[in-house]
Order: sequence, then C-alpha cells, then structure tokens
Amino acid sequence: MAQRQRRSASKAPSSSLKPFYIALAVIALGGVGWIFYSLASAGEPAVAPIELAGLDDPAALLAAAKGSELGQPDAPVQILIFSDYTCPSCQYWVQTVEPLVKQEFIDAGKARLVHYDFPLGGTAQHRHSFIAARAARCAEAQGRFWDYHDILFGRQGEWSPAPEPPIDEFVGYANQLGLDRRAFSDCLRSDQFADVVSASRQLGESLNVGATPTVYIGPRTLPGNEWSQYPAVKAAIEAELGGS
Amino acid sequence: MNRMAIAVLALAGLLIAVYMLLYKVGVLGRVACGTGGCETVQASRYAVFLGVPVPAIGVIGYGLTLAAALFGVQPGRAEDSRIALALIVLGTTAFVFTAYLNYLEAFVIRAWCRWCLGSAVVATLLFISSLREIPRIRRAV
Repeated sequence: MAQRQRRSASKAPSSSLKPFYIALAVIALGGVGWIFYSLASAGEPAVAPIELAGLDDPAALLAAAKGSELGQPDAPVQILIFSDYTCPSCQYWVQTVEPLVKQEFIDAGKARLVHYDFPLGGTAQHRHSFIAARAARCAEAQGRFWDYHDILFGRQGEWSPAPEPPIDEFVGYANQLGLDRRAFSDCLRSDQFADVVSASRQLGESLNVGATPTVYIGPRTLPGNEWSQYPAVKAAIEAELGGS
Repeated sequence: MNRMAIAVLALAGLLIAVYMLLYKVGVLGRVACGTGGCETVQASRYAVFLGVPVPAIGVIGYGLTLAAALFGVQPGRAEDSRIALALIVLGTTAFVFTAYLNYLEAFVIRAWCRWCLGSAVVATLLFISSLREIPRIRRAV
C-alpha cells in the first residue's frame, strides 16, 4: 500500500502541468503567428519614410543620417547637399554644376561633398523619391554610391514617371555597374536603409530644408540663383577657403 | 515553478532567435526594428561567430534550455541534479555570450538591435532563474 502510494506520488498526475502547457502553447502560437505574418508580408520594399525614435539628439541624428562623401575627409571646405533623385533641379546640379566643382575643388583636395537624401515624396512626380534614395544606398553598400547616384540622375526621365516602384529598372542599373545583383535586389526589396534615408530626411527638416537641392558651402546656404550658377558656387567656395 | 519560468523564457528566446535567423538567411526580407539598428548589426561581421550565424547559436541554446526545462518539470524529476546542472550551464553560457554581443553592439558596431536586446533580457532572466537550481545540486552532492 505504502509502495503504491509512493509510486502514485512520484508519478503525480500531469494535470497540474496543464495550465503551464497551455501557457507555453499560447506563447508558441503567438510567436509562430508573428513569424508567419512576417513571411507573408516579406518581399515588400520600403517605399516611404519610417518613423524613427531616439533621434532628438542632433549628434545621434547626424550619425544616423550617414551622409555619402566625395573627396578627401580633411578637405578645408565642406559642401553639403540635400537632394532628391526625382527632382529636375537636382539633376541640373548633378549634371551641370557638380562636375565643375569636382574638377576644380574636390579633386584638388580643397573641398569635399557630402550628399544627404531629402526624398520629397508626396506627389506623383516624387513618388519614387524614397526608394530611389534606398537604391543608391544599396549600391553604396557595395562601394558604388556615386556611380549609381549618377545613373539615377542620368536616367531620371526613364524611371521617375513609372506608375509602380521601378525595382526592375534599379536592379538593371546595378547590373550595368557590375554590382552583386542578388545582394542589391535583396537589399532593395527589403526595408534596408529605410532608417538611414528617413534619418537623412529628418536631418534636413531639422535644418529647415524645404526644397531640393539645398546646398551649403560651409555654414552658408546658397539660394537658388547661386547654386545653379557655377561662378557663384566657385566664389562661395573660394570665400570659404579664404576664411579657413 | 522555477523550471516552468525557465521554459517560458527559453521559448520566448527561441522564438526571437528563429525570427532573427530567418532574417539572417534571407527568408525574411525585413525585420521589424524601429530605429533600424537590426540591419546594421545583422549585416556586420559579428553576426557570425566561429562560422555560425549568431541567431542559429541562439536557436540551439534556447532549444536545449527549453528541452531541459520541460524534462525537468515532469513528475519525479524535480530533484534531478543533472537537469539542474544543465540549466545552470546553459543559463550561464547564454548570459556570458549575450553580454559579449551587447559589448560588441555598444562599443564596436555602435548600433542596437532591439531583438538582440530582447534576447539579452531573456538570457539575463534565464541566468538568474538558473541560479535557483544550485540548491538542487548541493542536495545531490
């Protein structure tokens, strides 16, 4: 009798474990459900800015925005530009003014250019601003930011009016540059760099950037009648060089 | 009761590890991350340890811990010192490894992955819970 009781005690019914198993099952179902939901919504590229937290500190915002640089890091003059790949004025800067700035100042080590994304979005003309900026960042991950940046502006008229995000076109440009096509495509079709582009936009907003391109030569913003004229840009850079 | 808590924590950690592993191997194209540090952390070279993706190490570790805890709550296993020892070893290993990963995020990668932080919280609680198994080993010795 005592032995039977001891056996019964050591193999106590598992009904006392039932609530525990139910709790485990609920947690497991919830977790698996979340994973399946994520799988179902996978493959959708991020096409709009995301909300970022914890970037009230200007230093944190600047770090998160990750400007793309051209030129020597120790160049005495810094040129900042907030730009949108769907913006025709930005295209004008890239194709007309920037090559001259590069030739005379950047290649000579007198200035460095820092590009920040400021995707305008909001209208049909700028609907692909954000994903274009992400595409350039995906190329940057493979070390070819400026080449891809130039292609985007050079072929703006081809992809910008597309009704749907021009993913295939962007992947095609990456292919032309000899980038790892799979890596680029995976990057673009995800939300990679959505945080960087969003932070870059947020940085511009904190500086009251309202239009693109917004060009800073040192601390000074160049108005529209100056940044579009190379002589005025040159004069501004030389003034900044003279003062440094 | 303690082993039930360990089982629940291990399951939570396992689910996080599976989610991150699916992202790391490319099955999931994106991960819900808010501040965006997850991509930076997972794309860094520190997301692989001795050739193994870190999330895979998490899956194995949390899976073993869950199995040990589930075995340990069965009737007649309450005082099994081998299970107690396994839970202590697994909990301590998880805590130390997680601390190393957090160090990398803070001082080397300089980016925070919220899912990794969630796993760190789980691993810390697991470690603390595993310490409560020590008396079972003492009684067995």
